[in-house]
Amino acid sequence: MATVLSNQLDPTFKDEVLAEPGGEHLLRCYSCGTCMATCLVRRYNEEFNPRRVLRMVMLGMREQVFRNPTVWLCSACDACYPRCPQGIHISELMQAIKNIGMREGYEPPGPVAEVDDTACSGCGMCVMACPYEALYLKDKEVEGTMHRVSHVDRYRCMSCGVCAAVCPLSAISVEGYSNEDVLVRMQSGGWLSDRQAFSPDEPRVLVFHCNWCTRVESDWAALSEFPPNVRIVPIACSGRVDPQFILLALSEGVDGVLVVGCDPGECHYKQGNYIAQGKMHLFERSLSQMGLDPSRVRFAQTGTDDRGRLPHLIEQMVDDVKARALVGAVASEV
Amino acid sequence: MSDKLKLALYWAASCGGCEIAVIELGEKLLDLMEAAEIVFWPAGTDFKYADVEAMADGYIDMCLFNGAIRTAENEHIAKLLRRKSKVMVAFGSCAHEGCIPALANLTDREGVFTRAYLETPSTDNPECTLPQMHCVVPEGELDLPEFYDTVKTLAQTVKVDYFVPGCPPVAEQIWNVLQAVISGNLPEPGSVVGAGQKTVCEECERIKGEHKVKRFVRPHEVIADPERCFLEQGIICAGPVTRAGCGRPCLHAQMPCRGCYGPPDGVYDQGAKLLGIVMSLIDGEADPEEVQRLVSEIVDPVGTFYRFSLADSLLQTVKSKRD
Repeated sequence: MATVLSNQLDPTFKDEVLAEPGGEHLLRCYSCGTCMATCLVRRYNEEFNPRRVLRMVMLGMREQVFRNPTVWLCSACDACYPRCPQGIHISELMQAIKNIGMREGYEPPGPVAEVDDTACSGCGMCVMACPYEALYLKDKEVEGTMHRVSHVDRYRCMSCGVCAAVCPLSAISVEGYSNEDVLVRMQSGGWLSDRQAFSPDEPRVLVFHCNWCTRVESDWAALSEFPPNVRIVPIACSGRVDPQFILLALSEGVDGVLVVGCDPGECHYKQGNYIAQGKMHLFERSLSQMGLDPSRVRFAQTGTDDRGRLPHLIEQMVDDVKARALVGAVASEV
Repeated sequence: MSDKLKLALYWAASCGGCEIAVIELGEKLLDLMEAAEIVFWPAGTDFKYADVEAMADGYIDMCLFNGAIRTAENEHIAKLLRRKSKVMVAFGSCAHEGCIPALANLTDREGVFTRAYLETPSTDNPECTLPQMHCVVPEGELDLPEFYDTVKTLAQTVKVDYFVPGCPPVAEQIWNVLQAVISGNLPEPGSVVGAGQKTVCEECERIKGEHKVKRFVRPHEVIADPERCFLEQGIICAGPVTRAGCGRPCLHAQMPCRGCYGPPDGVYDQGAKLLGIVMSLIDGEADPEEVQRLVSEIVDPVGTFYRFSLADSLLQTVKSKRD
C-alpha cells in the first residue's frame, strides 16, 4: 500500500477538473465501484481502475494521476456510463482529466496510428471513419510541394485500426496490425496458397477475432489447440478487417471465413463491431448477388462475460463448413 | 511502305465510347497521322479481318484494343491481333477490367438470353426465338460466334503490355499515351498508363471528412450539396478507390465518381475495398438495427461497388473457381 502524504497533495486539482468541460460531475462519485466491475479495459489490464482514478483526483493526487499510464487507457466505450448509479459520464470525465494532462505536457503511453505522408492522398476516409475523431486533414509540405494529408492526434488515437482498414493506399499503419502484418499472419507457412496440404475432410477456415474477445488464459490455450486447417488471426478490433482480406482468402479456396467481434454495446472501440457487422452483412449480400454461398463467411459476436465462447464459435464454424462440404459432395454425386 | 508507327485499333464487347474518345482527339488526329499510320480500325477505316491475317507476325507496332471478351469472335481477334502486334494495349475499362459488359457475370448466357430476348418489357418475341450458333435459312447457312457464359478482360485472354483505364479514357490522357509511344517513352510493360498514381480524391476540391453517414441514398434521390464530399452525404462515390487522371468530369457534373479508372496500385479488389470504406463511415450512434437498415439502403452492392471492375475482381475469381 502506497503512502499518501498530505503535503504532496494538490487540493486545487479537483476544482480544475470540475471546471474542465466534461469534468462537472466528479463529486457525484461515491466510489461504489460499478464502473470498475463493468470496465472493459480493466478486464484486459488489471491496473486500470476508473473508481481509483476518480478518487485520486478528488484527493488531489495530481502527479500520480498523470504519471500513471492507465489514465490514458480509457477508450470511451461507455460500458460503465449506463450502469453508473450516479449517472456520471465517466469517459467524459476521463477526457477532461486527459485534457488537463495534455496541457501540462504529459503524453499518452500507447502506440498510435501512423500516416505515411508520401502515400496519403488526403481522401479523408480515415477522418470520417475514426471512432475517436483522432484524425484530421492538414496542409503539409510533402517532398517539396504542399499536400493535404491526414494527421493523427496522438492524444485521441486509441490504435483500433479502423483507419488502416479504410485507407485505400495503405498509407496508415497501426503497430502490429498493418496490412502487411495481417497478410503475413494469414499467409505464413503457405497456409493460403498451399491448398493441397489439407485433405477434403479438413476444410480450411480463417478466423479473425478481436483481441477483446479473449479474456482468460483458457481461451488462448484453446485457440492454440486448433488443427492447422484452422488459421486464427487476432486483430485489434473487428472493425479492422478489410473485406479484401476475406476475398483474398476465398479466392485461394479457403472454405470459410469467420470474423468475431464484441457484442452490441460492448465494443472496446465504441463502434468497431457495428462497422464489422455492416461490412460483413453487405459482403454476404454481394456474395449472394454473385450466386455464391453467403454462408462461407460469418460474423459472430461474443460478450465480455462469455468467457470460453470464442473457441466454441470457431468449432461451430468448422462443423458447419464440414457439413456443407458433405451436402455439396452428395449433391454432386446425384 | 512508310516507316511510320503502325497502329491498329479494335473494338470487342464495348459500347463504342472508346472509339469516340479517339475521335475526340480532334485536330490532334492530324498530328497523329504525321507520326503514325493506321493499319486496322474497323470503326474508322475500311479494313477486313483478312487484311490482318495477311500481315506478318509483329507487323503492327501497337494495337489499342478496346472492349471485353464476350464472344468467340472477340477471343479470336484478340489472339490474332496479339500475334500481329509488338505492343498490345488494353484500351479503356472494358478491355482493362470488364466494365459494364462484365456485370452480366452476375448471371450466365442463359440468364442474359432469357432477359434480353424474352423478358424485357419492350421485347416482342412470340416464338421465343433465341440466338443460335448455327442456323439454316432459305438463302443458306448462317453462323454466329459463340456467346460465352463469362465476360473476360483482355489480359485474361492474351498477354497485355499496357493498360489505359477509363470509360472511356479521356482524350487528353490518350494523347499523353500516344506521345509517349511516338517518343519511345513508355514505362515498364504491365503498367497502367494514361492515368495518375493516387486516387480521384487527391484532386477533388470538395470539402471532405466532416460528418458520419446517417443514411445512404442514390444520386437521383437527393439534390447533393455541390461543395461537400459525396460520401459524407451518403451518396456512394468510388473516388477513394479509383485511380486519378480522368480530370473528374463526373464530379464536375455533380455526379459521384463511378470508379471507371480502376483501382490504384495496392488495392487488389476495388469493390471490396469500397464496400469496407463505405460501411466504416456509418454513424457512431448506430445500433444493430440501424446498421442493418444502412446495409439494406445499398440497393445493388455488386453493381455499385464493382460497376467497372467485376471481371478483373477477386469476387469473379471466387466464382470462376467454384465453377
